[in-house]
Amino acid sequence: MSDTYLELQHLTKRYDEHVAVDDLSLTLPRGGVLALLGPSGSGKTTTLRLLAGFERPDAGRIVVEGRDVTGLSAAQRRFGMVFQHYALFPHLTVAENVGFGLAGGDGDPGHVAATLALVDLSGFGRRGVTELSGGQQQRVAVARALAPGPAVLLLDEPLSNLDPGLRERTRRELRTVLRETGVTTLLVTHEQEEAFALGERVAVLRAGRLEQVGTPRELYEQPRTLFVATFVGRASVMPGVMAAADRVRIGDGVEWPATAPAAARSGEAVSVVVRPEALRFGADGLAGQVAECRYTGARSYYLVRVGDRLLEVEGAPDAARLGDRVRLTATRAHAFPETGS
Amino acid sequence: MSRRPHGLALTAILLWVVVYPLTLVMIESVRDDGGWTLRHIAEFAGQGGEWAALWASLWISVASVLLAGAVGIPLAFVFERFDFPGRRVLGSLVALPAVLPPLVGVIAFLFLYGESGFVARAAMALFGLADAPWRLQGPGAILLVHAYSMYVYFYLFTRAGLARLDASVIEAAQSLGADGWTTLRRVTLPLLRPQLAAAATLTFMTALGSFSAPYIFGGGFRVMTTQIVASKLNGDVTMANVETTALAAVALLGLVLLRRSQGTRLVAAVGKGQPPAARILARPLARWGAATVGWTLGVTLLLPHATLLLVSFVPLGTWTIEFLPPRYTLGNYAALFTEPERLRPLVNSLWMAGVATVAAVAIALWAGRLVVQRRAALRAAIEALVNVPWAVPGTVLAVALATTFSVQAPWIGRFVLVGTLVILPLAYLVRNIPVTAGSILAGFRQLDPSLDEAAASLGATRWRTLRAVTIPLLRPAILAGAALAFATALGDFVTSIVLYTFETRPIAIEILSALRQFDVGTAAAYGVLLMLFSAGAMVVGTRR
Repeated sequence: MSDTYLELQHLTKRYDEHVAVDDLSLTLPRGGVLALLGPSGSGKTTTLRLLAGFERPDAGRIVVEGRDVTGLSAAQRRFGMVFQHYALFPHLTVAENVGFGLAGGDGDPGHVAATLALVDLSGFGRRGVTELSGGQQQRVAVARALAPGPAVLLLDEPLSNLDPGLRERTRRELRTVLRETGVTTLLVTHEQEEAFALGERVAVLRAGRLEQVGTPRELYEQPRTLFVATFVGRASVMPGVMAAADRVRIGDGVEWPATAPAAARSGEAVSVVVRPEALRFGADGLAGQVAECRYTGARSYYLVRVGDRLLEVEGAPDAARLGDRVRLTATRAHAFPETGS
Repeated sequence: MSRRPHGLALTAILLWVVVYPLTLVMIESVRDDGGWTLRHIAEFAGQGGEWAALWASLWISVASVLLAGAVGIPLAFVFERFDFPGRRVLGSLVALPAVLPPLVGVIAFLFLYGESGFVARAAMALFGLADAPWRLQGPGAILLVHAYSMYVYFYLFTRAGLARLDASVIEAAQSLGADGWTTLRRVTLPLLRPQLAAAATLTFMTALGSFSAPYIFGGGFRVMTTQIVASKLNGDVTMANVETTALAAVALLGLVLLRRSQGTRLVAAVGKGQPPAARILARPLARWGAATVGWTLGVTLLLPHATLLLVSFVPLGTWTIEFLPPRYTLGNYAALFTEPERLRPLVNSLWMAGVATVAAVAIALWAGRLVVQRRAALRAAIEALVNVPWAVPGTVLAVALATTFSVQAPWIGRFVLVGTLVILPLAYLVRNIPVTAGSILAGFRQLDPSLDEAAASLGATRWRTLRAVTIPLLRPAILAGAALAFATALGDFVTSIVLYTFETRPIAIEILSALRQFDVGTAAAYGVLLMLFSAGAMVVGTRR
């Protein structure tokens, strides 16, 4: 890729026997926003700390604009970091926090004020950071990281410490700030919704390894592994058998259209992943019984028991009732060879 | 039964044993044969020696704060920030001098750095000198001992502060381009300010009230505490009272000024959730550097106490000019337990410290119940009263008690207790109220008040609630408070020297007389026993 700005090359980090990050390679274009998504223990926070320079990789390189920064300390590297708990300096004012990373100690007041304006905190400079609300503290943390004009901005679970009501708004503001500054950004989150909303591209990590990287849409519609298919978005898993290159057989003679890796052969046992919105109640198809109904307003979600499995189905609010015997068809499913998982 | 009389009774008792004696001393210093007079104060102010002693107390205390900080703060960083072999054990050991009696530290110093101590002997042997190359005397010697024993306050407070510091705040500074020195100056130290101010306050108060070091090493150099005791022993009671008042005034002034420097309380972390408790792991080179510094400092700081142990095995009169003692014996210890007159101080100290501790715990429990459970007006008064003795040097308390309880006037609350078995346990009690009450009141505040109500709703009487719920839950706080009180009382020297009689002489006094007879083995053996008892008490007290 010619417009590569930030490059992670074969990063590996071990703690004693445990491999936290395992041969991870990623690239970002200038101004790109990449979300690292994964469950806890997937190595996403370690990756972020390796990038910031708080930890040293055991192998691999970090390259910014063709320059190898792996050997630089955090202070020399100066990537802007927004911590999960913000880590504001409690003994300094808002302006002093924002000016901390600027030349000359407290920095140019005009620049500090401009940065505060960027995060919509004009006039807050003299306040103590402990007097601010959680959302305001988060914005100070962002302003402090952005003020020195960092080569890369790192965000650790940027919304996890906010009340749910505040998240939507903060997410929007954060997206605006990132667009306005055009800073190359890498953020870490364990929430798919957050990753999709903020990341132009999303990298899914599992046990220190990269499972898949792509746009949110690619991840949702073309998951490459069973893990990505089930971790990103809601999904039910059924055992099945490949009936053709684009069809899987579920149980007695029921066949669903499915995408599958090219290597999957007819007759091979597969795990079939199907999204709630791809399942429909119909006259024929897989037989089951409604075990649970969850009403959410415009749509309802039904858990349908098929054998010893529960399948989640999205439907109209009155599509079925508890205890109804129903049949399910699928518009689309994903098949993964069982050995692959 | 109404609860009001309890609060009043406790307040009255505290007023009587704490505030009343201090007030009497001040009154006596401006009274003369039934009339008011400023004559004594004028006499005090007219003497250059008095001003010199007052000034000496002040600058010694300030210098002690600076020196103790210079040792304690770096030590805390080494032990809190670097992991190296032996960190845990050594880290606890270097905190030990905090619970050892000051006099023990002082004589340990004498044996190590004194003119007939190991270091001097080594120098003499090395350079073939006929006389000791130095004398451990004067302000330098006092400061050395102070720095050596009071670094513990800075060490413990700084470590506690560092342990609670949000690691990501430090990382934030680094990612903003701050190097190690800038981070320390602009982030870490400002965040440690409350802890550093608290340590400075404690060190200042301890140094101001320090008696053992100036008494043993002062020589002609007088500070206020030794000046007071000298006046008292010379029979100049009025001058002792004026001097006591002056020292108390300096102590209160210092306390007020230092409290102000503590500043507003800072929250260690802003935002929700627990800050990550990350240890900063250094590269191998720094690690070994830290190990070297940690071990060197640790061993140096513990060396005096090891010396004491060694000297306690030296038979009387056998160690003259050799570098190491030529013979060792258990005889010094055997003598302590077989000769009744040598055993006596041990028994005295143990029972007097025991009684004082039990009484202090009882008063603290009483105060705790009142302070926590009542919206009473007396709450603030009780909390203030239990802390007063802390703000006043031990010598001041001793002189105040001696003045108050050497007159028989029951209608104004004065009895002749000086010379009886009561006065020393009483003095120990008064000195120990702050530390015991501090621990137990903190324990009470952590108790869920609804536990009492739960017990009551299940039909438990108040006595049963106390016995079956409150005291078991408070056990760690009670044990910690009692252990500290017991260790302090056991090794007390500063109040004992003013108030003891031959019959009630405690260990510290006996150590002093053994030193005067150059019986260093016996003095050291007493010292080792004091160390063992104190350490034992702390082990019991800190067990969870």
